[in-house]
Amino acid sequence: MGYLRRTWPFHLMVLPALVFLIVFNFLPMAGVTMAFMDYKPWLGFSKSAWIGLDHFRALFEREDSIQVIMNTFIIAVSKIVFNLAVPFTFAILLNEVRQRFLNRSIQTLVYLPHFLSWVILGGILVNFLSTDGGLVNRVLGSFGIGPIPFLMDGDWFRVTIVASEVWKEFGYSTIVFLAALAGINPSLYEAAEVDGASRWKQTRYITIPSLVPMAIVVGTLSLGNILNAGFDQIFNLYNSLVYDKGDIIDTFVYRTAINDGNFGFATAVGLFKSVISMILIVISYRLAYKWANYRVF
Amino acid sequence: MYHKTASYRVFNVINTTILLLLALMCIVPLVHVFAVSFSAKAAADGNLVGLWPVNFSVEAYKKTIDNPVFLGSLLIAVKRTVIGTLLILFVACLAAYALSKENVQFKGRSIYAWLFIFTMIFNGGLIPFYIVIQKLHLMDSFWVLILPGAVNVWLTILLMNFFRGIPKELEEAALIDGSGQFGILFRIYLPLSLPALATLGLFAMVWHWNSWFDGLLYLSKKEQYPLATYLQTVIVSRDLSSMSFSKEEFDLLSQKTINAAQIFIGALPILIVYPFLQRFFVKGLVMGSVKE
Amino acid sequence: MKAHTRKGWMLALTFALVATFASACSSNNGNKNAASPSASAPASASASESGTEESTSPYKEKYDPPVEISTVWGVDPALKFKNGETIENNVSTKWALDTLGIKINSLWSVTDTNNAFVTKMRLSMSSGQKMPDTVTIGDAQLAQDLIDTGMFQDVGELFDKYANDTWKKAMELDPGVWNPYMRDGKKMGIPVLDYAYNHDYLLWIRQDWLDKLNLEGPKTLADLEKIMDAFKNQNPDGLKPDKVVPLSIGFKTTMNTWMGDPSWIFGAYGTVPGQWNVAADGSLEWGSINPASKQALETIKLWRDKGYIPAEAALWDENKTSEPAVAGTAGIIPGPYWMSGWPLLDTAKNVPTAVWKPYAIPTGPDGKAGRHGTNFTSGVTLINKDMKNPEALFTYQNYLFEHLADPAKGSQWDLGVFKGYDYDLDASGNPVYLDKIPGGEVNINRYWLVKDGARIPDAQMKSLLALADGKEPETRLEKEVKNNYGPETPAAAKVLLSQPGISISDMFTGPSTPTMSSKQDYLKKIELQAYNEIIYGKKGVDEFDKFVANWKSSGGDQITKEVNDWYATTK
Repeated sequence: MGYLRRTWPFHLMVLPALVFLIVFNFLPMAGVTMAFMDYKPWLGFSKSAWIGLDHFRALFEREDSIQVIMNTFIIAVSKIVFNLAVPFTFAILLNEVRQRFLNRSIQTLVYLPHFLSWVILGGILVNFLSTDGGLVNRVLGSFGIGPIPFLMDGDWFRVTIVASEVWKEFGYSTIVFLAALAGINPSLYEAAEVDGASRWKQTRYITIPSLVPMAIVVGTLSLGNILNAGFDQIFNLYNSLVYDKGDIIDTFVYRTAINDGNFGFATAVGLFKSVISMILIVISYRLAYKWANYRVF
Repeated sequence: MYHKTASYRVFNVINTTILLLLALMCIVPLVHVFAVSFSAKAAADGNLVGLWPVNFSVEAYKKTIDNPVFLGSLLIAVKRTVIGTLLILFVACLAAYALSKENVQFKGRSIYAWLFIFTMIFNGGLIPFYIVIQKLHLMDSFWVLILPGAVNVWLTILLMNFFRGIPKELEEAALIDGSGQFGILFRIYLPLSLPALATLGLFAMVWHWNSWFDGLLYLSKKEQYPLATYLQTVIVSRDLSSMSFSKEEFDLLSQKTINAAQIFIGALPILIVYPFLQRFFVKGLVMGSVKE
Repeated sequence: MKAHTRKGWMLALTFALVATFASACSSNNGNKNAASPSASAPASASASESGTEESTSPYKEKYDPPVEISTVWGVDPALKFKNGETIENNVSTKWALDTLGIKINSLWSVTDTNNAFVTKMRLSMSSGQKMPDTVTIGDAQLAQDLIDTGMFQDVGELFDKYANDTWKKAMELDPGVWNPYMRDGKKMGIPVLDYAYNHDYLLWIRQDWLDKLNLEGPKTLADLEKIMDAFKNQNPDGLKPDKVVPLSIGFKTTMNTWMGDPSWIFGAYGTVPGQWNVAADGSLEWGSINPASKQALETIKLWRDKGYIPAEAALWDENKTSEPAVAGTAGIIPGPYWMSGWPLLDTAKNVPTAVWKPYAIPTGPDGKAGRHGTNFTSGVTLINKDMKNPEALFTYQNYLFEHLADPAKGSQWDLGVFKGYDYDLDASGNPVYLDKIPGGEVNINRYWLVKDGARIPDAQMKSLLALADGKEPETRLEKEVKNNYGPETPAAAKVLLSQPGISISDMFTGPSTPTMSSKQDYLKKIELQAYNEIIYGKKGVDEFDKFVANWKSSGGDQITKEVNDWYATTK
């Protein structure tokens, strides 16, 4: 009773979110049972046949299953790392630009690419990265480099995918760190000034440590995408020359599903991805708690 | 003072130059898209447009805007974004505040936190969701755009971490003064969290503003569509292998200029809001008030 | 931020995945319901029920009191409405009620962009919403799924009984149109007929370049190579060789497409890739493994090495291949006969001297030529088992086949169908079209209950040929064609029909087989990989034989067997 008296405001505060989640997330979650069904829309959940793990078997039994999963993993991990490191660094560097006008202009400009869709960007990249007179290869050519087959060679394709994604999103992602920077107590810097600490030392001992918790949170949450390598992007850019390095789980599911169509299979793949993500999130939560004594959420 | 040292000045010049170059890299493709949107259809279809419009034309904008539905969809988008964002912020503030407490103070918080995280990772797919929407009679209702997205777990966790950065002393002092938890949240935490709220608000706004699939699926009349959904219907993506269309559709088939124009029509309102939000990213807002 | 935007993607993807996916394994055992004798029972029951009132056939030219047909709509995003009308309530539904006594009752509608109609149809099935009396489906997989639900009835008997002669004759032009919808010998849906040859292609060549070089149009691949070389190395417009795309083709996802299609190069050696063709022994074979494909790949590789085709053709989709054509830097582009209307019409805006002319598909070393053909259908109309008056649908369609499809001169819709919509009359009583109609034109063909109303497959080509021979447009259809298509279209139609024998249609139109469901994607993947590795010189041409062996052992043989089993049932 004493427990409730002390904590009721907290329970009440969580309540609205909880109600929404129950209605719009937990209730529909019954749908994951489709992963174990030969789901037919007209039969619905009650009458479709149970088929156990067949969909999961189908996912792993293809000749190229391992390759596709590895492609996904490699591209997704690279994206997670760079999508964290680049905005982090960028926020710190931008913080050093003192002229308010420049600071704000740069901030605004770099966040614009977020608003381009991959459908449009795909077309632009094919132009810009063409080995046949594309802008990028012309610039590189003037330095005596290339031409580089950015989209036609498997290894370069991965580089292109990761780099173009980071290019598109880093400005938008920086905003969180800018907000975190705004939260740093200025008296810390004042004290450091008095001690005669160099700017580098201030950055190293004040700025970076203040941003690390945010980075851990963002990083941990992004593990939810450990098997999402970016469907829209790859779907718009890949081609048969780079299938062996660029075909990912989502494109593969999309193609097979278009051809033969299967709600159950799509759900099974989704469930597989979710389980892997969840495991990694739990692990990183534990690690952060154990080593940094930091509770991510 | 480090600002005055020569090495810092050199660093500052180099740093600013690099960041400006980076910004330039971000803007070049956009300038290209902008140029395409103001070019004649023939030039765009021939891929002849660089960074400057070829045979200037506002046809693409006209085609997009010149529809009785356009203005209405803009209003609905604004309504959706304002109401939706406020709801996300409200729900997130409450939940984030409670979750930001330590286990000692709010036993059971971890259960909630993991429940939240769980919904972020797992989802049941479209079919059961659709059935829920139907059972709640949300079909063809404006609220179908608002309610399902009311909880954004990602933003809630983010806000929770911002709240944790606020010194405990403030809460303790307020408790001694006889404030309740709600009072502390609204009178102390929120005013101190403007940068965080601005960030959250921006993300929530962008998300609401750009969402189009829900409108397409759950609303049956074009008059009910928010802007993003309406824009999706301007482009005619037709399976040309089963060709059957009229002359006017031939014109609409060339999507490049319209596609480009849509980006700016769609994003402009959000882009205008951003500089206003930027002023909230002012340093020292939080801690400044803690100092005596 | 990151995860936030990604969550957006994740959601979009989940939608895309879950939404666009049909349910699998449609063919093997899902037919029990459809095949059960009860399938047609309610129909005949209701027929006799309404028959008791009249004691004759329930079919009427006009129903009084009106009968109801319920349906659902995927509304074309480009479709305009005027006078405050909607898809549920417009000039066409009003016409149906006034003229035929048929009330169109719309259960729901969705703007059909990004595949929304298919998605919504699947979702409404899953959530147990009421199925409409009749629905027209364009998506092949969804159509198969709907048939497998057993909620729709055998239409064969109804069609024989109620369809009028015009419609029946149109249907007989190609008896194969029923094949996709056959279940145990029963016709489970009425194919929606479309114009023939829409999808067949020819070569569009820059006539001004040919003229300046004093060259004739190509008859053979050898001629073509000479032309491509001249276009590139002695370009009449003075373009540098590396700026010219002599032949604009692309194969980003397939070798068998519609604009910038390379499949005629295979045709010159006797096969068409990416589809099922009739082999010498009468069975069906996958065109991509035919030895002729090996020769075609060698030719394409040669052309790529010489710079005749785009260096990055493997990245180019259909629209991309049209870019150099429109820009005026391409000399040849394969594409449908209607391409002079779009996109080639725009070339002259960029290069005023440019003139595109249609040419026939050139022959290979052995005098062979081939291209892929077009199926005559654009979808299927299904009739609900519980529909009270299935014959009313025939009342409606018969009327359109009689008066809309291709009426002789002097029919009631000669000038247009609905005044103030697709035509209007000026002060002196002359018809005006398109922009001259007060309030603008609307495409009333999208208002009909069945997509595009009624089409007779060969009617459009006949009209185009008549126009090509210099005839003034007289009939309804001739006028429509004249109004809607580009200047070179009649001539192109004539060129197209000069080679009717070379069009090779995909002979497999049935529901996907069990092995296809599990193996097809992988097989397509290794096919494209092998093809491109050969074309781009990463592997020798002998890689082709390895690919064929691999294809056969990885499920291809099994699929071939299943396809032929299906083929046997259609004979």
